[in-house]
Amino acid sequence: MAVTVKEMDGAELERLIETGAKVLADFYSKTCGPCKMLGFVLGDVAKEVDGVEIVKVCFEENPEAVKAHGVEGYPTMILFEGGAEKARLKGLQQKPLIVSTIAG
Amino acid sequence: MADYDVAIVGCGPAGMTAAIYAARANMKVLLLDKLAPGGQIVNTFEIGNYPGMEKVGGADLAISMFEHTQKLGVAFDYATVEEILDEGEEKTLSCKEGQRISCKAIILATGTRPRMLGVPHELDFAGSGISWCAVCDGANYRDRDVLVLGGGNSAVEESLYLAELARHLTVVTLFDLTADPSACDKLRALPNVDVHEFYDIKEFLPGEHFTGLRAVSTKTGEELVVHADGAFEYIGLQPTTESFGSLGILNDHGYILADREMKTARPGIFAAGDAIEKGLRQIVTAESDGAIAAESAARYVRALTR
Repeated sequence: MAVTVKEMDGAELERLIETGAKVLADFYSKTCGPCKMLGFVLGDVAKEVDGVEIVKVCFEENPEAVKAHGVEGYPTMILFEGGAEKARLKGLQQKPLIVSTIAG
Repeated sequence: MADYDVAIVGCGPAGMTAAIYAARANMKVLLLDKLAPGGQIVNTFEIGNYPGMEKVGGADLAISMFEHTQKLGVAFDYATVEEILDEGEEKTLSCKEGQRISCKAIILATGTRPRMLGVPHELDFAGSGISWCAVCDGANYRDRDVLVLGGGNSAVEESLYLAELARHLTVVTLFDLTADPSACDKLRALPNVDVHEFYDIKEFLPGEHFTGLRAVSTKTGEELVVHADGAFEYIGLQPTTESFGSLGILNDHGYILADREMKTARPGIFAAGDAIEKGLRQIVTAESDGAIAAESAARYVRALTR
């Protein structure tokens, strides 16, 4: 099992969500240390999950997506499935919690 | 037979340095953290006093240290240690995630975490209006009004950073500004900054969204209501040592008491880093503690097996 973590802009994220796929979106800020560490942890998460798209969305470059999803702090992970938000994790999180959130 | 020679609780600079030294001393090492590698340094955007590196990102340094531990074969697991059973030559770590880990020696390197105010509605807005990380969330408040709560070095340094982004910044502190005087003067001189000293924060204003706080002057009793879009709390740190209270190794403030060899009062239990009682809490002092603790732990384990 393994997936690839992809960088996306807001429009690409919206298109992906609309397909109904399971998507874990990581909203991050370029200046944020916990965001960088979460990126490292997500790289590890990606090695042991399947059936999910893990995408990173840069806050500074995608203000409309940030506003549309009500993201207020960084990092924020939102899990989408069937076109709707299923779960939200705020801040740096431990790998097992991210994996179990993806598993539902 | 114990699962590991040395189990290290906490994966910040102290814990990772201890892991490197213990692994190089041929110990079978397990490194544990409840969240992720790095500890407090991941919250630091840029470190300017790490010898040999004029400027380095906190998260970059943490990732580099962690990869070093992994190249040396250190085992790593995500675990929140809830209890330590000290049965003499063998010790057991009982974890919230379900693991029970046996080892011969333990190094406690759990560090510190930001202290919270503990006032009404603080938890309502934690992470969505109230932040403890200006470099994470500061950009959210570009051209908006923000509060900084606290008056020490961190509060003033982060205020200087936020004042460049925010439309207006208000500092509210229980005492006066106690940071480096030149930094305080610089902050006070900024045209978009107000500083309210000697105010006791009573509550964050209730509501669906963060709108500000209410405080009372400790000198005059005057009430102060400040409206803002967000707040950053910098009112100090507290040791993450709650799980070790029953071991009898903590001082009155919760810091671990360790001697020059990083030994606690419990044979086979060592400590390192910001969680111990000491004067200077820096990355380099945490690393120094970690190296000494690892050497002491390895010596202890070798003596057990002779």
